[in-house]
Amino acid sequence: MNEITESQDQRSAAVSLRGISKLFDDVTAVDSVDLDIGDSEFFALLGPSGCGKTTTLRMIAGLEIPSAGSLQIFGEEVGSLPPNKRPVNTVFQNYALFPHMSVVDNVAFGLKMRKIPKSEISTRVHEAISLVRMTGMEDRRPNQLSGGQQQRVALARALVNRPKVLLLDEPLAALDLKLRQEMQFELKQLQREVGITFVFVTHDQEEALALSDRIGVMNDGRLLQVGTPEEMYDAPIDRFVADFIGRSNFLKATLESAEVVCLANGQRIRVPQVDAVSVGDEVQVSLRPERVMIGDLDSAPHDSAQLSGTVETETFLGNSVVYRVALDWMTIEVEADHRPDVERYHAGDRVDLWWRDDAVAVVRP
Amino acid sequence: MSQSHQRRLPVWALRANGGVVLLFLYAPIILLVIFSFSASRIPGQWGGFTTEWYTTLFDDSRLQRTISVSVRVALVSTLIATVLGTMAALALERFTFRGRRVFDALLYLPIIIPDVTMAVMMLMFFSQSFNVVDAVFGLGLSKGFGTIVVSHVAFNIAFVSVVVRARIAGMNATLEQAASDLYASRWQAFRYVTLPLIAPGVFGGALLALTLSLDDVVVTQFVAGPGSTTLPVYVFSLIRKGVTPTINSVSVIMLVASLILVAGSVALQRANASRGRQQLQTSGGTS
Repeated sequence: MNEITESQDQRSAAVSLRGISKLFDDVTAVDSVDLDIGDSEFFALLGPSGCGKTTTLRMIAGLEIPSAGSLQIFGEEVGSLPPNKRPVNTVFQNYALFPHMSVVDNVAFGLKMRKIPKSEISTRVHEAISLVRMTGMEDRRPNQLSGGQQQRVALARALVNRPKVLLLDEPLAALDLKLRQEMQFELKQLQREVGITFVFVTHDQEEALALSDRIGVMNDGRLLQVGTPEEMYDAPIDRFVADFIGRSNFLKATLESAEVVCLANGQRIRVPQVDAVSVGDEVQVSLRPERVMIGDLDSAPHDSAQLSGTVETETFLGNSVVYRVALDWMTIEVEADHRPDVERYHAGDRVDLWWRDDAVAVVRP
Repeated sequence: MSQSHQRRLPVWALRANGGVVLLFLYAPIILLVIFSFSASRIPGQWGGFTTEWYTTLFDDSRLQRTISVSVRVALVSTLIATVLGTMAALALERFTFRGRRVFDALLYLPIIIPDVTMAVMMLMFFSQSFNVVDAVFGLGLSKGFGTIVVSHVAFNIAFVSVVVRARIAGMNATLEQAASDLYASRWQAFRYVTLPLIAPGVFGGALLALTLSLDDVVVTQFVAGPGSTTLPVYVFSLIRKGVTPTINSVSVIMLVASLILVAGSVALQRANASRGRQQLQTSGGTS
């Protein structure tokens, strides 16, 4: 993960935040965020509502002015520039299409404001409209369009300006599930086609995992971790991140050395090497339910970490079964495949749980 | 229907009620119009049909002057009050600043204050400030067209800003942010996005201001100077000398003028509304 961050630094970052903070009166919305977003990267800012992700996006757009820190776009300091002086465009959450203008006029707005020659405006507008597959709808008003169509017009209106960075604020939140999945795919295609940096804000972890090259997870105004979707899922460094992306069990432990932790029941287990915490710290071991093996008592292989307990409840989900297994010091959730060749357990059964050493992640509590 | 079991007023009673209300509202107007064509010198007496009062009215240079003053005062004060009132509305709806609440409360004062109080206030303000200006610059200012305009602006700002604010409150602030994100300067965002969207409110506020200014007697009477009498003030003074049928014809003309104004604004609103409905219908059809 560190290697990737360094290589991002060496290229000129599309967007670079250093110690960016934003205070509203006395409330800290964004707390000293450092972040580099690479050129032509699809970057997701992920977090629950009120975590500061939208404020961060709005600071990049120029709709909020940072209280502290430095904000650069392709090496140029833009921290206090107004939005109309920045090489970025935004797709707003509810699209913010101008209701009194037709599709064409909406898309042409930015070019008109920049006094681009008329003939060029008309070619670029029609290119943008066909890019988002809205040809034939040019003369409609926004209230004559469906949600998905409005979304496309909003994209065209932003992309027609050829911004260096496109910002998207919860772009899919207002759409229903089926449309959302379609638009996810289209967004990804579009980003590959135009090849510019996309920064998008979402509270939907699946959307973030599916779309982005890298994800930054925020909570309480702080940026907790940045990484590829796989890194975020496999090697979270913070309990919040592990909990927010996917599901996880958290086992209390103490870090004894870089690769060994002592669980709360006194058992020592090997873990992947940890950098984010120091030896002797209280930590938690994040154990994904689908990464835990379940089997008869004493059936666990001797060279892997293991625990024994009693099945408390079982929940059948079709392709899998979720067991809650009670240990004498905590309860662990286990998700087992539902297949003819996998043993099925029932409430009251005594079972062994085990996992590979590299299946877990050590996180800050 | 369960309603048929309830005791209801007979239809004739409802009709009679409606008729009385209409009569109460419109009989005076009808009488006014009729007697404006009466040849009798006494305003309440029918003496045969004539248009004499209208011709004398058009020959009365004093009356024409007051009409011209009224119209000019109304236009100038409406223009100023609409611009200032819209700006005040924007400031209150779109920005947070120190003293915003106080400003908000103070802005509503002219609506609440009785006309007479407003009139006395304006009168004192003008005489005091003219004293100061005279002492310092020796300009020898006096009451007249300017003071009437200033007074009308003073009370109209409040009405305009109330109407415009309602419209701005119904408009999504993200639209202005979208405009500035699309390279519009503050002014361009206002000119191309905010103003077209709040235009019905601004227009409505301006109409209200125009009507109030044309109507006003009390404040104007206090702050008018010699040679700058407005029509309502003139009519009022005529009545004190005794009512002549000319007043009837003046009133009819004012009535027709305001009917045209109202009809115009209603027609405009209808056109807007039906355009909006059409859009809704077509969008309902496509989705």
